[in-house]
Amino acid sequence: MFPETAQCLKAAAPLFSQTVLLKDLSRLSTHGGGSHLQARRHLSISRCLTSKWERSYKDPGYYRAPPAHEMPLFKDRSCFVFNQRTSALEGVLQALWLTKTKLISSLPPQLLSLSENPANQIPDQDERVQNAIKHARFWDTTEERPGKERYSNTMMVNLLHLCATLQSSHPAIGRRTQAEKCSLATTWKRGEDLFQIRGQNGLLHTCMDPLPEVSGKQEVSDTADHVLETFYPVSPTINLQKVNVYKEEMNCSGFRDDYPYPHAHTLFFLEGADANCKLRPDQFRAKMLMFTFGNALVRAQTLYGPQRVLDRPVTVQAVGTNGRIFQFMVFQLNTTDLSGDDGIKNQVWLDEDVELYDFAKVRPLIQRKQVKVPAGLAGYKPEAFSKFLSLYLHGAV
Amino acid sequence: MMALSCLTRALRSMTLSQPALLSSQGVAQTKLAPHVTGVVLNQCRGFLTTASLKQNKTQWKLREKYTIKPIGMKKTGGRDYTGKVRTHGIGGGHKQKYRMIDFQRLRYEPTKVDQPFDEKVVEVRYDPCRTANIAMVAGGSRMRWIIATENMQPGDIIKTSAVIGRMAVSANEGDAYPLGALPVGSLVNNLEIQPGKGSEYIRAAGTSGVLLRKVNGTAIIQLPSKQQVQVLETCMVTVGRVSNIDHNKRIIGKAGRNRWLGIRPSSGLWQRKGGWAGRKIKPLPPMKVYVNLPSISAS
Repeated sequence: MFPETAQCLKAAAPLFSQTVLLKDLSRLSTHGGGSHLQARRHLSISRCLTSKWERSYKDPGYYRAPPAHEMPLFKDRSCFVFNQRTSALEGVLQALWLTKTKLISSLPPQLLSLSENPANQIPDQDERVQNAIKHARFWDTTEERPGKERYSNTMMVNLLHLCATLQSSHPAIGRRTQAEKCSLATTWKRGEDLFQIRGQNGLLHTCMDPLPEVSGKQEVSDTADHVLETFYPVSPTINLQKVNVYKEEMNCSGFRDDYPYPHAHTLFFLEGADANCKLRPDQFRAKMLMFTFGNALVRAQTLYGPQRVLDRPVTVQAVGTNGRIFQFMVFQLNTTDLSGDDGIKNQVWLDEDVELYDFAKVRPLIQRKQVKVPAGLAGYKPEAFSKFLSLYLHGAV
Repeated sequence: MMALSCLTRALRSMTLSQPALLSSQGVAQTKLAPHVTGVVLNQCRGFLTTASLKQNKTQWKLREKYTIKPIGMKKTGGRDYTGKVRTHGIGGGHKQKYRMIDFQRLRYEPTKVDQPFDEKVVEVRYDPCRTANIAMVAGGSRMRWIIATENMQPGDIIKTSAVIGRMAVSANEGDAYPLGALPVGSLVNNLEIQPGKGSEYIRAAGTSGVLLRKVNGTAIIQLPSKQQVQVLETCMVTVGRVSNIDHNKRIIGKAGRNRWLGIRPSSGLWQRKGGWAGRKIKPLPPMKVYVNLPSISAS
């Protein structure tokens, strides 16, 4: 305040001599009388406005985090994190490189033959599946047309319920349970970099017994000749979140150690589950692959510890859907030695873009006064559900 | 909300039991009676006599860190920060988003400095903020927007290098080199006038400049306006012609389409034609030199 006052005085009274000005100033500062008190009051107000007041007690509502480099978990080496909202630019290719995996672009034949056996089929299978679809698309709500996030979820639950009716003939199905929104955390090294998968799975089916491995020893050792595909100008770490504050050696499946259903069986992903994050099909498949790999890796590290090539490979399956198109995936973790590009690779069988039906219209599609697509379910394809069923029965037959 | 806070502020100054004065008023009173300083010279903030001009603040422009996400813009309507019309004929139009363009093509990744690098074109698309199209490129572990050249397609690999070799390079379209590395006569765009500053010239749709000659560590470029500029040969340029070459052939068609673009009709006031109208013949302006020649005393 005082320098400002002096300035005011100088501006206001240029005619006054320097001594008078000084006298005035000194009077103001030493004994202002009544004005002195006022000046004090205003001084305190102005201090309030300029400097920040800090409370003397701890209030978590106003907690401000320290800068990242002062946090106890800060590391100099940065880690790349993949979470459920990561949209990897290169899609499946990038996920294959990160997980050191060989891609086989169809489901294994011995798995597909499971649902061809009439003993493994549901009575009136096609009709009941169509009813399940119609329920999800038309009869679920009183709304005229349920949204994608609603009907895809209902359809998945319906189909799972249909498959679960086989429990009377296959009692091993009863040794499973399901969990939603369980979070996963795992760490691995690939090349020079450290990677983590953090985040929430979709719907997770877990089982008391591990899934049998899909390919034999010979096929596993053949994967050593496979060369991983690269995508040169783009680095594999693109679009992954780079963090310096993280926990090292993080390995958690989201359940306690004494959980009676420790073996992940199948992960079910819905494309419209997260309204804030829409992934394109290739990125969606990459997310499926990463989380399937993550579940297998967590299990392998808790079972076998730092063992490099697993004696008994860990198998986890995944199914993704947007309510019409299905993605089926079987992942087999053969090795946890992921740092180099040589040696034994993991394997994934991927069957992409399998359509369950062509159209499910609430109102007919009319173009030029001709009905192009009638209302109701059209173009049902039973192969998609038989693949779904065979993945479900895998391990229970 | 604003009115309420104005009112509370005014009431608060009342409770301090003294005249609420603006600083200008305070100075005026000081002039009148300097000997009663103790009473008059208070630090009260006084009433606010203006409304908030938050609409005229450009908060969205203040971002420092690079992002590829589109940023929502606020329309100014041609008004500046005080709320007065600064530019006539702007207002309305379709809502637009701003995409940060990385004009400094030679921006190395932090770990790999001074090595030529390649990038892959992911997407070429329209940009509402400029006439040219823009391209998303990915290289290493980063992505960025750049100005697209004429024949750029998704999946192309483009190269960026700062090396000036003894031989001129045979560059593909979309590659970026310093001017000294390119052969004389090549078509260039996105010209830097100071090395490392980022491109400033030849960025509009369909334009290209010509590298005329290279003299003694500098290069002379002919701009699209036929003016010639002389810059240092370490300035980066992109090879080829800027995309959207048919931009000048589009048909606006009706007055409303200009309104969609945010352009308002001109005033309509009759003005006598002056010296600006009619044909003029004048010589080309002299060459612009952007080279800071070393002074004689320095050597």
